[in-house]
Amino acid sequence: MTTPILEIRNLHARIEDREILKGVNLIIPPGEVHAVMGRNGSGKSTLSYVLAGKEDYEITEGEVLLDGENLLDMDPSERAAAGLFLAFQYPIEIPGVATMTFLKAAMNAQRKARGEGELSTPDFMRAVKTAGTDLHIDTEMLKRPLNVGFSGGEKKRAEVLQMALLQPKMCILDETDSGLDIDALQVVSKGVNALRAANRSMLVITHYQRLLNHIVPDVVHVFSDGRIVESGDKDLALQLEAKGYADFDGAAA
Amino acid sequence: MRQTMPVRLGAAEDTLIAQLKSVGADATAERITVAGLPTRRVESYHYTDLKTLLRAVPPLAQAANEASAPALRVPGAYQLMIANGVIQSASTAPAGIIVGKADGGVLSTRDDILVHLNGALAKDSLTLTLESSVDPVIQIDRRIEGEAAHAADSLKVFVADGASATILETFSGSDAAHVGNHATYVALGKNAVLTHITVDLSARATSHFATNEYHLAEGAKLRTLVIHAGAGLSRTQLFPRYEGAGAHGDITGLNLVSDGQHADITMDATHAVPGTSSQPLFKSIARGRGKAVVQGKLVVARDAQKTDAKFMHQGLMLSDEAEILSKPELEIYADDVVCGHGSTCGKLDEDSLFYLMSRGIPQEEAETMLVRGFLEELVDPIEDAALAEALHGVIDGWLLGK
Amino acid sequence: MADYDDIPTLKENIDRATVDSVLALDVDKYKYGFETAIESDMAPKGLSEDTVRFISAKKNEPQWMLDWRLEAYRRWLTMTEPTWAKVHYPKLDLQDMYFYAAPKSSPAPKSLDEVDPALIAMYDKLGVPLREREILAGVERPNVAVDAVMDSVSVVTTFREELSKVGIIFCSISEAIREYPELVQKYLASVVPVSDNYYATLNSAVFTDGSFVYIPKGVRCPMELSTYFRINEKKTGQFERTLIIAEADSYVSYLEGCTAPMRDENQLHAAVVELVALENAEIKYSTVQNWYPGDKDGKGGIYNFVTKRGDCRGDNSKISWTQVETGSAITWKYPSCILRGDGSRGEFYSIAISNGYQQVDSGTKMIHLGKNTSSRIIAKGIAAGFSDNTYRGQVSAHAKAKGARNFTQCDSLLIGDKCGAHTVPYIESRNGTAVFEHEATTSKISDDQMFYCQQRGLSEEEAVALIVNGFVRDVLQHLPMEFMVETQKLISISLEGSVG
Repeated sequence: MTTPILEIRNLHARIEDREILKGVNLIIPPGEVHAVMGRNGSGKSTLSYVLAGKEDYEITEGEVLLDGENLLDMDPSERAAAGLFLAFQYPIEIPGVATMTFLKAAMNAQRKARGEGELSTPDFMRAVKTAGTDLHIDTEMLKRPLNVGFSGGEKKRAEVLQMALLQPKMCILDETDSGLDIDALQVVSKGVNALRAANRSMLVITHYQRLLNHIVPDVVHVFSDGRIVESGDKDLALQLEAKGYADFDGAAA
Repeated sequence: MRQTMPVRLGAAEDTLIAQLKSVGADATAERITVAGLPTRRVESYHYTDLKTLLRAVPPLAQAANEASAPALRVPGAYQLMIANGVIQSASTAPAGIIVGKADGGVLSTRDDILVHLNGALAKDSLTLTLESSVDPVIQIDRRIEGEAAHAADSLKVFVADGASATILETFSGSDAAHVGNHATYVALGKNAVLTHITVDLSARATSHFATNEYHLAEGAKLRTLVIHAGAGLSRTQLFPRYEGAGAHGDITGLNLVSDGQHADITMDATHAVPGTSSQPLFKSIARGRGKAVVQGKLVVARDAQKTDAKFMHQGLMLSDEAEILSKPELEIYADDVVCGHGSTCGKLDEDSLFYLMSRGIPQEEAETMLVRGFLEELVDPIEDAALAEALHGVIDGWLLGK
Repeated sequence: MADYDDIPTLKENIDRATVDSVLALDVDKYKYGFETAIESDMAPKGLSEDTVRFISAKKNEPQWMLDWRLEAYRRWLTMTEPTWAKVHYPKLDLQDMYFYAAPKSSPAPKSLDEVDPALIAMYDKLGVPLREREILAGVERPNVAVDAVMDSVSVVTTFREELSKVGIIFCSISEAIREYPELVQKYLASVVPVSDNYYATLNSAVFTDGSFVYIPKGVRCPMELSTYFRINEKKTGQFERTLIIAEADSYVSYLEGCTAPMRDENQLHAAVVELVALENAEIKYSTVQNWYPGDKDGKGGIYNFVTKRGDCRGDNSKISWTQVETGSAITWKYPSCILRGDGSRGEFYSIAISNGYQQVDSGTKMIHLGKNTSSRIIAKGIAAGFSDNTYRGQVSAHAKAKGARNFTQCDSLLIGDKCGAHTVPYIESRNGTAVFEHEATTSKISDDQMFYCQQRGLSEEEAVALIVNGFVRDVLQHLPMEFMVETQKLISISLEGSVG
């Protein structure tokens, strides 16, 4: 059996006194797209933050392997260099830092961490231009400060652009559909689908089934009260949409 | 009923009194004899207690023999130099500039010890008359060289109606316990546009004091940027007065302080007539046991209706021991105005740091990136590219020079 | 109110009602300006060691209290009046005023029946009910207990028995000095040191009365406690001293109100209020200050020089100040919180309205000493007429106050172009982990707002009152219910004559 891209074993995490993840188990083999669905407050966004290494959470139990490497020992930048990418639900606005400057810094930092040389400016520009065209991102937008004053759609497209440039092994998309109209959703989904590859896996976190019409998952998991309570194929998502989450409450108990 | 307690004078005050008497400035000497240097009880010096901070004053400066390299070079700039209070002869001025000299100091009388000292000790002043728009950056290189010296110098600038210019003042010198007292008086004619940048790059041992007074006529536009990035003790006082309708000031400043440094930017702005506006923006970054101070007062005179003035100070703490102290003030006597101020203080935003790191940027690099981003708002509006690059160099030099 | 004697003889054919309504437009709108004829016991005029001894003797104080007062008096002699506030006023001649005045009839009434009916009637007129039986008959449960202080003495404290059942002590400070000396000695001046400032030191020497509240451990005070301060006598200063102690896990909400007759002379009110909150305790202190502000030409009015400070001594304790300042000629007042206990919290909600020639310099200090302490300041200043209204506040995080947080919002509203609104915050972060946010705005009531309200049929004054009440809403909601409606009315009255 090949090494899974992501393997989560009995993961428990808390913020202050509140336990939010209560034993998450998940294996994502290479090339697969998994969806995690759950109602608001079920802890699915926490899962994405914990995987990316946000400091606010304390891991009390369990382990996470990225392509066989222990993820939890790394700081967020090391996780990124190891191939983990989180597309934020609410991308952070960073005044004063031009998007282009940021992209170059991120790409070079990851290359450096992997022992690769820096990209030349023409190579970098070419890469950005290519990736940007499909996402309808022009260079004017990239001169603006990172995410500052971007519309909801621009923010999400910029996230996918970063994903395309950084070429991660494991992509986590946290509520990528939130705040998008239908047109923007199609552009973003198309961008994500273009990145599907045999050596890249994805975890799509969403509240609505709608996104999964565009990014069709191999496996769907239902998340409730800090753990996965049900797994199935893409039809599970339709079932959820029809019946709601109530049927799955406490299913694992 | 009660007697005023006599003020106990320290070594710095004794020296100042002797120096003032030696140049015949008896009134100022008497003032120091009676009141001493200002302590925290004097409101405008609340966070910069000169009596405690200024322990010694070196002898009055003599003409300099040698000169160190310019602290900051801006390609294409027209340079003028004042060394140890002495105005140096200049090369031929570009079109539109008349360079001259006048006797004595330049500042308007005001109840402030630094203003009094400059008025008493500055022998002559460099005058610049900008008759029409001047393209190259005009750099006034003010420095104190040689053994520790107390130097006072002054500059007077007239910007004619409709003219525009960029003036950069740099302060530097030898590595000695100098006390520099610098004054700049700027009058902007109708619709004149001026960018005025002052950068302190003096040695750590130096105490740097500067006072900039601005008068804005109708429609005049002023942008300032004060950067404190050198002296152990620095204070720049900014006194803009908006005297004609449509006058606008973007008064900005930056304190960069490291362990043991104390930097203070104090603004006292007056909107004297109806229909003027200003947007003062100050930032402070402190690390180690550095201390940064920003005071900013907006005074709106009676009848100065439709004034639009917003003051902002943002402090960034890079260490647990740093101190950032601020006192924004509003003094408003007209009712139909939009005035406000804000002051924030904290460390780097954790969400931003996490976002950058989640893209693979290591922590230290991510922090530097955020700090640069935090400061970009101050440098970005400066149009001269070579000047902006030089200022980025000053900021990066501080960031990397831990 | 102006007496009818002052009116020129009525002309024929003009009816009394017309004259009344015209007069009502002219005279000041201060509705508590009446004087009550009650015979008083006075100290000799002026201030000396003898005055201090006289007051102490009148109060039957123990020797330690007299010694404490004399010590304060001697210190005061070496101090000078502060000048940093943005207020200007003719100095008071302390030798030309009385430091003690007490209604003769009731130095220490044992029950309400012994209280001079004229006094009860006066408080009725002020809207402060003192008769327990009537209050009890009227409502199911009493919700406010009152300590009524007139000039220099507490005349009556209601519901004391009811409160004592749960161990709460609510009495005058004079009585507490006699009856609970160990509590007084432990806490008096432990928050505001004797030599804190000129007025506080003066108060320590000559304070006459005020309230004392002690809430035992774990007790939630079952009703609002309140003190009603009234200056009645001429040329008399009022030096109130209030001390509130909330033991661990207790809660109390306390209100104070103040009024005085209209007089041409300036009178001094120099109070000291100290609050101590121990572990997990919460004290909510609300003030509606409506001392006589002086007449429309700036003549007369109270000088209100007050030191109020709360000490969050225990971990996770909380002190909340809410003030509505509409009265006084001069106000100099900064209710503050010392956030000593880890996790403690301070709040300051303020409405300060100035009209006529009033001068207000008021605000707060939030001193963060403990870890994870937090504070919140919402101050609304409204200046009208020829008045000056200054917010002055300090927020300070000391080196050990890791994780300290403050949020401050100061808004000023100017009504008319002859007044001034000023904001002077001191923001001092001495700690890299502290997070401070301060914001201040100054504006006027927009013409659009006025037009909209007037188009809907409101008069100019009604429109102003409505908009101002909206402007201060964030603060109003922190007042106890009983005070909210009264305060809204008070705001309207304070601003009468400010437009047009």
